[in-house]
Amino acid sequence: MAVARRSTSSATLVLIVVVGLLTVAPVAMLAFGSFSAGLDRFGEFTLAKYVAAYSDPALLRVALDTAVFVLGSTLFSTLLALVLAYLNTRTDIPFKFLFNVLAIVPMMIPHLLFSVSWALLLNPSNGLINVALMQAFGLEQAPFDVYSMGGMILVEGLLNMPIAYLILAPAMASFDVSLEESSRVFGAGVWRTLVRVTLPVLRPAILAALVLGVVRTLASYAVPRVLGMPGRVEVLATWLYEMIATGFDPDYGQAAALGMSALAISVALIVVYRRLTAETERFVTVSGRGWRASTVALGRWRWPLFAAVALLSFVVVVLPVAVLLYTSFVPYAMVPSAEAFAQMSWRHWIEAFEDPISRLALRNSLFLAVVGATVGVALSLFIAYATVKSRSRGAGLLEALTFLSFSFPGIVIGIGFMWLFVQTPIYATLTALLIGYVATYLPYGVRPLASAFVQVHPHLEESSRVAGAGAATTMRRIVVPLLVPGVVSAWILMATMFLRELTLSVVLSRPGSEVLATQILAFADDGLWGKLSALGIVMIAISTGLVVLAATVGARLRPGGAAAG
Amino acid sequence: MRIRVEGLRKHYVSEGRTVAALDGVDLDIPANSIFTLLGPSGCGKTTLLRCIVGLETPDQGEIAIGDDVVFSSKRGIAVPTEKRGLGMVFQTYAIWPHMTVFDNVAYPLRVRRASKARIAQKVADALRFVQLEGVERRSATRLSGGQQQRVALARALVAEPKVILFDEPLSNLDAKLREETRKALERFLGELGITAVYVTHDRVEALALSDSIAVMRAGRIVEIGSPQRIYFDARTRFVADFIGRANLVPATVRAAEGNELVVDSALGPLRCARRDPVRLGEATLCIRPEFMHLRPGEGEPAPNRVRGRIESLAFVGEFYEAQMRVGDTLLLARTEPEVELRVGDAVHFALDPAHCLLLWQ
Repeated sequence: MAVARRSTSSATLVLIVVVGLLTVAPVAMLAFGSFSAGLDRFGEFTLAKYVAAYSDPALLRVALDTAVFVLGSTLFSTLLALVLAYLNTRTDIPFKFLFNVLAIVPMMIPHLLFSVSWALLLNPSNGLINVALMQAFGLEQAPFDVYSMGGMILVEGLLNMPIAYLILAPAMASFDVSLEESSRVFGAGVWRTLVRVTLPVLRPAILAALVLGVVRTLASYAVPRVLGMPGRVEVLATWLYEMIATGFDPDYGQAAALGMSALAISVALIVVYRRLTAETERFVTVSGRGWRASTVALGRWRWPLFAAVALLSFVVVVLPVAVLLYTSFVPYAMVPSAEAFAQMSWRHWIEAFEDPISRLALRNSLFLAVVGATVGVALSLFIAYATVKSRSRGAGLLEALTFLSFSFPGIVIGIGFMWLFVQTPIYATLTALLIGYVATYLPYGVRPLASAFVQVHPHLEESSRVAGAGAATTMRRIVVPLLVPGVVSAWILMATMFLRELTLSVVLSRPGSEVLATQILAFADDGLWGKLSALGIVMIAISTGLVVLAATVGARLRPGGAAAG
Repeated sequence: MRIRVEGLRKHYVSEGRTVAALDGVDLDIPANSIFTLLGPSGCGKTTLLRCIVGLETPDQGEIAIGDDVVFSSKRGIAVPTEKRGLGMVFQTYAIWPHMTVFDNVAYPLRVRRASKARIAQKVADALRFVQLEGVERRSATRLSGGQQQRVALARALVAEPKVILFDEPLSNLDAKLREETRKALERFLGELGITAVYVTHDRVEALALSDSIAVMRAGRIVEIGSPQRIYFDARTRFVADFIGRANLVPATVRAAEGNELVVDSALGPLRCARRDPVRLGEATLCIRPEFMHLRPGEGEPAPNRVRGRIESLAFVGEFYEAQMRVGDTLLLARTEPEVELRVGDAVHFALDPAHCLLLWQ
């Protein structure tokens, strides 16, 4: 026993070193890099990069635009999620399955493609909706311009809505209804109860959704890149990218100096977020006994509200995929018509896959998804075991390190990795991308595995020991089978994230290590919308296939439902 | 099989403080008896059970099951759990959710590499014994709490262990099911006739199920004895109070006269049954409510007659629970529903010296 315990804590030590290298090393390199004279002059101390980065007169405009973009889209997504969560959990709105579709499906559509699809619909020169409206009403000018701050906020807000919803809906569902009922008993109406009791009690969850939204939007690159750059709306992520973009005059030092602030803000916000979620859980788990849903009757608002939700589902789920599919078949942007359907062909598909770089990108992305997810899950297994089961001394540190990467803005940490990899032979290789992916997306593996380990109550292992099985048999016949569903979902989650990865890739990818997202971006830059759409549909199809596979495998592997305990 | 525990000690560190979970425990559990470890939570009873089964390693001491020493700190013996040949029912039942009922019960036989035919036979026997036939193919966690409990029991006994251990097996059931399951368990254990060690904090379970009870407190065994011995003849205030409802009254022992002790108490002068060894001076008197037969009125003065007034009355179904005030002392009593009493009424009762238990510790 004593021996076993000592070995777990030394294993924990090894894990801390590995995870530390993965998460702290890029941060450290970012910090050193920001004080260095250049990528090839690492360690040559200078403050010039900070001076240059922070004295640029354009920075103020970028910072203001970033603030408007981040706060605007976060408020929009949280408000939308709040309304949706309330409608689903607390009212008698019909067809509630629609809310699950709204909460899950948008996450299967990569941000890059979602942004592109909105560009295809609402761009001012030939956006399908714009053209259709101009034809219908004989307008001179396109009514919408998605290449604007408003367009960015709209699209980013829709993208982040599911995240906010997944935080708010459980909090609302497990909300102790008696708190509201007592307010009603003491004479407050529905509205007053909502404002005075419901929302204040939900405050930690709402704040958590807001904070997480800010962190994610600050790191968001797809929307600013696809919708912001054509309209010359620059935010921090695109501004940083321009500093390091090859072809201009890349300055990784300045980018690192500026990135330090973004990183500091993100890490601080994630700390706040973790506090808030801990508080949410406290609020939520207090009740549970005697819980029962009391629904608010919507009356004559029931169907209009349902129609609004249905429209939203259409706009968020169906429209983006449909427009990509449509664009991949028509020769150029044209409003759907008999003529358009007559001209449909596989031309873009054939061209997209005749392009050797597309094929390379697809191969690379598949490799990164499969190998990366396998490596990531293997590492996550050990981390989850150490943090949940062994609870040895370093477990807290390990957990903090793991979740540190959750707060990293992709571009910034990509710059950190760049500083690191340039000093090594793995620079510009697929391995560089692999390491970056695993480090940045580690929480996606650790989360499901940690909860899988929590499911395995110690008594389940102990009863196997008492029944006469040794440690190895217990592991093989009890622990592993119980973990398999968690392993499968962690693997699928990581694989889908890696398949679509954009932000790290734009920094680390070089000729030869292109991935699907960078290739799609290249098509976008060249205005090759048809080829882009074909490649995008392939990306969505693989992601969706993986998710469906996970659901089937998961259902097959979980015959017994919840574990004892 | 007999279980011997000698000088068992186990410490653990909690929030920087060292806590003694077991503080020198000696036990001798006779073969083929149902032995209960009873005590409040945190008294060390579960730790003791887990040391016997091998899921915890004691710091010091020796444990023998039958003739096999399974743990000895002096001789450096620590037989791993799986080699001890025991059966156990866990508080959470620990039913494996990824297996059917059959697979759960068959598991101990499979890890012992029994033949298929033997497994089928023994599992069927075990499930018949716990009256759980026809659910073999069901997923075990889809069963009700009471049924899961029986799966756990079938699994514990299927490999014919030398000893079965129970860690608060009824605490997860609701009150009605708990009573039913307890009765079923009484019958199963009676029929099995093997050594069972049973951990609980519920005194009714302990009294109803056990051949012997060891009452534990703060990592030590306070008293060991038959349920009757523990209930009627407790030696310590802690055990008398823990095992049943008790009125504990300060008293002074004046003298011993034949089979009786002369006592001054808050209830007045009393004669109590003699308990050896006699110690004169400070003591505590334990009077159980069921031995106080309250009668209306003052009653004639007589030896061992206690007089007072009804302070409160509560109807709890089978009887009234009365609080009786005697001077500054409040006594809890039970009264038969046919005796008509009202709050404020004068009442008295005669205390049989045999039911007047003196405690010195």
